[in-house]
Amino acid sequence: MRAYVPFATGGLQSLLQYRSMFVVTGVTAAAGAAVTVFLWRAVYADAPASGGPGGFTLAGITTYLLLAQILQVLHTNRVDDEVAAEVYRGDVAVMLVRPVSYPLVRFFACLPVVAANAVLVGVPVLLLFAFLVPLAVPRPGDAALFAVSAVLSVLIAFCVNLLTGMAGFLTTNTWGVRMVKQSVVAFFAGQLVPIALMPGPLAALARALPFRGMADGPLTLLLGRYDGAAGAFGVLAQQAGWAAGLAAVCAVLWRRALGRLEVLGG
Amino acid sequence: MSALRTAARYARLSWFLGGVGLHRLVTYRLDFLLGAGAFLVRVGVQTAVVGLVFRQVPAVGGWSYHEVVFLLGFSLLPRGLDHLFTDQLWELGRKLVQRGEFYRHLVRPVSPLFSLLSERFFHPDGFGELIVGGVLVGWSGSRLGLDPTATQWALAPLLVVCGALIHTAVKLLFSSLSFWTVTSLPAMYAANQVSEFAAYPLDIYHPTLRSLLTWVLPFAFTSYAPCAYLLTGDADLLVWLPAVTAGALALALAVWRRGLSTHETTGS
Repeated sequence: MRAYVPFATGGLQSLLQYRSMFVVTGVTAAAGAAVTVFLWRAVYADAPASGGPGGFTLAGITTYLLLAQILQVLHTNRVDDEVAAEVYRGDVAVMLVRPVSYPLVRFFACLPVVAANAVLVGVPVLLLFAFLVPLAVPRPGDAALFAVSAVLSVLIAFCVNLLTGMAGFLTTNTWGVRMVKQSVVAFFAGQLVPIALMPGPLAALARALPFRGMADGPLTLLLGRYDGAAGAFGVLAQQAGWAAGLAAVCAVLWRRALGRLEVLGG
Repeated sequence: MSALRTAARYARLSWFLGGVGLHRLVTYRLDFLLGAGAFLVRVGVQTAVVGLVFRQVPAVGGWSYHEVVFLLGFSLLPRGLDHLFTDQLWELGRKLVQRGEFYRHLVRPVSPLFSLLSERFFHPDGFGELIVGGVLVGWSGSRLGLDPTATQWALAPLLVVCGALIHTAVKLLFSSLSFWTVTSLPAMYAANQVSEFAAYPLDIYHPTLRSLLTWVLPFAFTSYAPCAYLLTGDADLLVWLPAVTAGALALALAVWRRGLSTHETTGS
């Protein structure tokens, strides 16, 4: 494990070279949150205090959508574009001659990105919106459950992004693949429409997919929208299950992909 | 006379280079299909979100479901038109100055801006946006029973062109900053992100955000103002469109020229 620590610090150093990226991530997150928050606030403008559609109050739905966007900032770990670019350019070959596992290197290199995004983008965006619109305040227990769940969501996001980046083995237009991933993940995570507001079959599909654990799962816990301890445990167990399952898929596909990798160079 | 001849020369060049762009499309067919497919998924998700919003309420900010779809579709038209011709500005903002590759546009016997833009005419994604936007506008328009007057029919293409010019002006302004900052991709990216607001009715946003989108980064004029006019005949905001378009273009061109004159290429 100690072999991987330098990759984490290295990731942090290269990150600090590109500080303007945080501004971009921040503007993107704030703009994305503003669109969904204001769109749904218009829907809930006349909702009764006891709760409108799906049992959300105005402050509840605002908190849900805002934090879904902030969770997405934590999931923007750049693993998808970096892996795709390294495969495309053939740089991945350099990594393969080192006595380390490439997916693990990527994991450790993305940890500082996630932490920096949380502190430098997530907190300011949260404060900005807290200043503009009223938010729901969670119970301390729910906030603790949310923290655990958010960590699991980061693991799921890493696997999803690694799989997306591995599309670089199949096509050079990874831009298109990443755009599809982004749209599909945002939708099925509940980031644009809370899963509770989707029609029956669509909601059932969204609840079964791993993306639910990236936004709707943690936010279900934060807003206390679960049935007792068993309900909360169910959400966390589903997340943990998907994180383990996706990690296994990554490991298998990575080994298969290396078999067909050809790097030109000289 | 000579002005006319210059215009004819540029038109001939555009025709020829446009052909090159189309040829490229046919050669990289899979890339084109992936790009267009990705775009379809994105718009599909956006439309689904609007549909799910309107499952809860009959109107949002005073706009009905079909009106919002009309707005969403219309916002893609100027964006697509702009995309067809000016995508190279992203390259300027991203790397041309940084890598010292811009000088080649200064040594050609055409205006540097034309030289830069003509490097890639007919970007495939632009076609996708125009087609999807057209389909959404046509479908929602017929569901609304829209019956535009002769003036509205005549103005509609002009509104799209003005909207495209506003998109171009914003892109040109932010990409020209790279003459000073070497790369301006973050700024371009942020401005592009702000343009996403134009796909929804401005009435739902916070008043500060609304005035930002109207008077600072005037994306309101690319979709909201034209749609308000086409759907309801309300031209309160629309009368500012010519002035805003001209002003935005003039400002962007001034910054571009200033940047060109301060530009010193890097080299090795």
